[in-house]
Amino acid sequence: MKNGLKTLREDRGWTQGALADRLGVSRQTVNALETGRYDPALPLAFRIARLFGQPIESIFTPPEDQGVQEFEA
Amino acid sequence: MTNKLDSKDRSEGDREKSRAYQREFWPGILAYGVVLIGVLVWGDLDGDSPWRFLWAVLPVIPALWIVRAVLRHVRRIDDYQRLLLLQALGGGFAVAMIASVTLAFLEIAGLSIQGVGWIIYGAGMLGWIISGAVVGRR
Repeated sequence: MKNGLKTLREDRGWTQGALADRLGVSRQTVNALETGRYDPALPLAFRIARLFGQPIESIFTPPEDQGVQEFEA
Repeated sequence: MTNKLDSKDRSEGDREKSRAYQREFWPGILAYGVVLIGVLVWGDLDGDSPWRFLWAVLPVIPALWIVRAVLRHVRRIDDYQRLLLLQALGGGFAVAMIASVTLAFLEIAGLSIQGVGWIIYGAGMLGWIISGAVVGRR
């Protein structure tokens, strides 16, 4: 999943370590989030959204081909 | 492009968790070493006393302290670090199982192997360490 975490962090002048401390995770985890190697669980996604004052969907963007499929009743 | 905000320095939280782990882990290792040396020197493990079996398992007690330290560390780390740890442990487990089955078949084929348990232990630990290094680099 793509995300704008790196931009949001750099806009505030925070290092990965500083963001990690604010989120209560490791710097390694922040790095994995920013590079898209790790998609956060909901509690962490909500903490990120709350920290940056934005809704989750404006920070994380799912790939185009992973939309919800609609079925006819 | 990297800048000073991409520093690879550990966060304060990382350092605190690491310090807590070290504080709990190293006393266990130290106690394990002391008990192990004591057992090897005074345990008379090659003798005839039935007590030798008790002495032989005595190092397990401080080893349990090490296990406690690792479990408490696992509770402190975040989900992603737990995922990496799980992958590393999976690698170590797989290596230990392969070593175990290989040695078992070699024994069935008639090969006499001394210290099979230690070989499997060593293979598993080595597998864990190597897997941990590999998944940590991703």
